[in-house]
Amino acid sequence: MTHVARVAAPLDFVVTDSVDDDSELVRRAQQRDPRAFESLYHANLRRVYAVCLRMTANVSQAEELAQRAFLTAWEKLPLFRGESAFSSWLHRVAVNTVLAHLRAEQRRTSRIFGTDDPARFETPPAAPPAGIRLDLDAAIAALPTQARAVFVLHDVEGWRHEEIATALGVATGTTKAQLHRARKLLQEALR
Amino acid sequence: MNRIQHPENLSDYVDGSLAPAASRAVEAHLATCAACRSEVESLRRLHLATAALPREIAPARDLWPAIARQLHAAHAAPASPSITSFPAAAFRWLVPLAVAAAIALLCTIAARRPIPARPGDLDAWSVATMTGTPRIAARAIRDSAPFRVGQWLETDSRSTAKVAVASIGEVRVEPNSRVRLVGTAAHEHRIELARGTVDALIWAPPRLFFVDTPSATAIDLGCAYTLAVDDHGDGELHVTAGYVALEHGDRESIIPSGLKCLTRRGAGPGTPFAADAPLALRAALEAFDFGPAAGRGKALDALLAHARANDTVTLWHLLARTDGPQRAAAFDTLARHSAPPEGVTRTGILAGDAAMRHLWAAALGLGTFE
Repeated sequence: MTHVARVAAPLDFVVTDSVDDDSELVRRAQQRDPRAFESLYHANLRRVYAVCLRMTANVSQAEELAQRAFLTAWEKLPLFRGESAFSSWLHRVAVNTVLAHLRAEQRRTSRIFGTDDPARFETPPAAPPAGIRLDLDAAIAALPTQARAVFVLHDVEGWRHEEIATALGVATGTTKAQLHRARKLLQEALR
Repeated sequence: MNRIQHPENLSDYVDGSLAPAASRAVEAHLATCAACRSEVESLRRLHLATAALPREIAPARDLWPAIARQLHAAHAAPASPSITSFPAAAFRWLVPLAVAAAIALLCTIAARRPIPARPGDLDAWSVATMTGTPRIAARAIRDSAPFRVGQWLETDSRSTAKVAVASIGEVRVEPNSRVRLVGTAAHEHRIELARGTVDALIWAPPRLFFVDTPSATAIDLGCAYTLAVDDHGDGELHVTAGYVALEHGDRESIIPSGLKCLTRRGAGPGTPFAADAPLALRAALEAFDFGPAAGRGKALDALLAHARANDTVTLWHLLARTDGPQRAAAFDTLARHSAPPEGVTRTGILAGDAAMRHLWAAALGLGTFE
């Protein structure tokens, strides 16, 4: 193990034997070593925050959900068996955290508006949230919630329709339709 | 043939998720339909733009303090058994400044107090159970027990213990720790921390309380700190009030309140850094202190580039850990943030004048050197 990579930083001299270092840090974090967990946090924060921000298009929600994802990861870490890379597992935890939040939001909206299609009532953000500067990211932020979630998971994060459908509790036909809708809206926005 | 009836097929085609026969049908259609070709081109441009999106976005603020607070709160609440073993010591740095100042005041007052000569001080210390069942010499402690020279005090994942260090202070032993009482005498009290975490609060004059670890010895200069050692014998010190020195061989680091310092087995103490130092600076420092020799120059460049006005103690330590052009670069960076005091010259520092280095240390609030 190299000690340098314990602190993640964009420095090109940092030895990048990240798999081994992650394994060691994960082992220590599983033994409830908070310093190891803090190192894992620093190494993965930007990736976790990116998916939270893209899926919610809301800075304060993204910060809160990223925090919640790390808290969940700490709690569930003893169950992590190393069958995938830690970063992939953590990423999945983050996505599930965001999806649970979106489902709760949808239930709340559905109660308020009496509809199963809250997208009909969604108002796209007037301006892209801080941290999102690219045109495409701004257009993604303006998508309806569910179409945005499907687009981010499929086209940005590389999930398959079957995985997204399972996570969202819908049929693959629904995720395909949402993806199509998202792409059409993005094509129009970027023309 | 007219445009494809179900435009979703074009998305699937671009994704490469169509069955071969359906894909061939789309290709045949595209050969004759300019509108669909344009649509496919547009989708491909979108794919390319998506693939070029950054996969990482930095939040505007560090989320760790909030996460740490919540983990700490969960640790304190017995309703969350899955995280009850989170050591509270990790959050000691969250103690508000007012509390730290109060501790410092307590230390200042206590340091002036004569050390009472209590019978028994030199025989054994006293250990009290705080949580769980700590063990001394493999025997469970119910409420309290004497701690004699040569004995090991051990805590498991659920236990913590408080050790009265003769009459000069207290040490809280966090979960999963292993501590041995090496010796106790009027002029020196010494424990060994083989692994785990201790929180020390010492109100004696400097250089009376020592903690040996596999990678360095922590010498109390008065008066509150957390010292953690992992299974490899590597450690991290965080001083919350007063000063602590870390020594290994002829290598010494002075760590004032608010700073941390890493130790590595075989290498000794690294260079102290502010607890809020940027990650890039910490990474560069770790590479400089413990990385391959060939990378030290580059690490130093990065370190100096990231140094802030708050990092003068770090920069001061570098004066004794560099030479030649590297020392000149360290001097210039330190001088930019804190002008050298009277009697300290660039020529003298570059020549390795220890008296000048000590003068500068005093000006930075690092105390005086004998």
